[in-house]
Amino acid sequence: MRAALKPTPRPSSPRLNAPLYASVARLGFRRQFAYPQAALWGLITNLFFGVLRISVLVALFGSKPQVAGYTVQDAITYTGLTQAFIMALSLFGWTDFMRTVHRGEVASDLLRPHNLLAFWAAQDAGRAVGQFVLRGLPMLALFALIWGATFPAGFTGWLLTTLSLLLAWACGFAFRFLVNCAAFWSPDAVGFGRFAWAVLGLGSGFLMPLAFFPQWFQGVLAFTPFPSMMNTTVEIWLGVTTGPEAWAGLAVQFGWALLLSGVAAFVLSRGLRRLEVAGG
Amino acid sequence: MITVHNLKKTFRVHQGGLLRGSSVVMEAVKDVSFSVERGEIVGYLGPNGAGKSTTIKVLTGLLVPDSGRVEVGGLVPWKDRRAHVARLGAVFGQRTTLWWDLPVHESLELLRHIYRVPEPRFRQNLRDFTELLELGPFLNTPARALSLGQRMRADLAAALLHDPELLFLDEPTVGLDVVAKERIREFIRHINATREVTVLLTTHDLGDVERLARRVMIIDHGSLLYDGALASLQARYGSARELVVDFEFTPIDPQVPGLTLLGAEGPRVRYGFTGAAAAPIARVTAHAPVRDITVKEPEIEATIRRIYEGGLLRDGII
Repeated sequence: MRAALKPTPRPSSPRLNAPLYASVARLGFRRQFAYPQAALWGLITNLFFGVLRISVLVALFGSKPQVAGYTVQDAITYTGLTQAFIMALSLFGWTDFMRTVHRGEVASDLLRPHNLLAFWAAQDAGRAVGQFVLRGLPMLALFALIWGATFPAGFTGWLLTTLSLLLAWACGFAFRFLVNCAAFWSPDAVGFGRFAWAVLGLGSGFLMPLAFFPQWFQGVLAFTPFPSMMNTTVEIWLGVTTGPEAWAGLAVQFGWALLLSGVAAFVLSRGLRRLEVAGG
Repeated sequence: MITVHNLKKTFRVHQGGLLRGSSVVMEAVKDVSFSVERGEIVGYLGPNGAGKSTTIKVLTGLLVPDSGRVEVGGLVPWKDRRAHVARLGAVFGQRTTLWWDLPVHESLELLRHIYRVPEPRFRQNLRDFTELLELGPFLNTPARALSLGQRMRADLAAALLHDPELLFLDEPTVGLDVVAKERIREFIRHINATREVTVLLTTHDLGDVERLARRVMIIDHGSLLYDGALASLQARYGSARELVVDFEFTPIDPQVPGLTLLGAEGPRVRYGFTGAAAAPIARVTAHAPVRDITVKEPEIEATIRRIYEGGLLRDGII
């Protein structure tokens, strides 16, 4: 067998390992389909709460034709969208990475020559697409069939919405990963996470369209990345934001995605450094 | 392959509450030096908390030592970790490095991408390992559904697919039955011989060490107590050989000149001796009529236990 040994090129080069991240994303996608029953019950639960939220919003409208630029129909579509995005954008939180740090499994990951952040991003991207197909699309279809939820207008509408959705995932992932990095410093990062997910739910427009909040609160939120994690996408889908305003929204999302990813990479490297000095 | 010089690592251990806590410095590894040649299999032994895993973590680049010089294949592990870990393989008996919900072959495929193993090389290695470790029947099974023995074999294949130069094995046979243990040891010996993979083996199973390693290092309380051949450890620190004699009748005086009396139970008497067995046997048979005689070799297990407990080697490395 020794004769058959050929030197293997060493995978130490910093060049992006595209085939790796592609297959990680593919596996992350496929993994979502392993438990179809869980997905079905999840969908039913999301639908149930969707109905509940529609009733509350419609009651809020009363006889008014419009609230903060939203028609009743918009409010219904908004509800359908946010219910559809729950899983894909992990709006209720995400602690997978945290768990590997607490269990010490992150050490086995470090024994492999890959970029940890890119690896998790690829995995989560696959997961998000899987969840969108499994739980998001059926939810949107149901909302369209039952309550006449609307879709983006024309090619530009679809293009803007798609781009915005991708950027919303990127912002959201970087934020979630950042929160998970707390595990390097605290054995109780889950508690910190709970607070962070509450802020995410409020700031991203999941609890209520941000347009419904008082002006000053919207002003504050505008300085945070949270609207970029979903609200921007919903408003572009609905056509509440269009044209140059929509492109500006995308630019803001892009900026936040870059900044948050940078911060996440930095905090991760600090966390790993801490692990190297203090042990796991 | 591995050079470790004056390695030292301390941890700050926090004690007490959130506000009034104090921290103490714990010396996990005090002043450890050794080197390992390419192609060696070295057993690294020590009781729990002795400093074994700290040493391994430094060697794999997971920990930065306080001081000391460490080089593995020309690289300082923690300075260039990505390049360093690309040449390593590791198997932890206590936990799998496979993706638990993926079929084994998909985990292996993912590892192929991680290590950028060329396709033909990967195919060949997979063929070889599938045959040697009999992976065939469970290549399509998710890791979570494997038996312990299957999982360990799959983990071994996963650790070796990228032709690592250095393999870390931590308790590679823990919890396995005798046959499964033997199969794993056979495989390790095989890849060491055919692929010149250097193996550093940490284990509590001395069977692994006896069957695989010619050289052992023993660490306790952060210091190396012994570094040398397993055989000479046994010769120097092993207890005496034992002669178990069944006399025809219960002897009135079981004492035999030149032999240490270890115990007597009716006609069965146990003596301790060193060196060859011929002379002691002759003496015993001259002493009284004998029905049966057995020679019992001292167990390595007992030797190691005596070393841990009695601090036999505490005074320094030989």
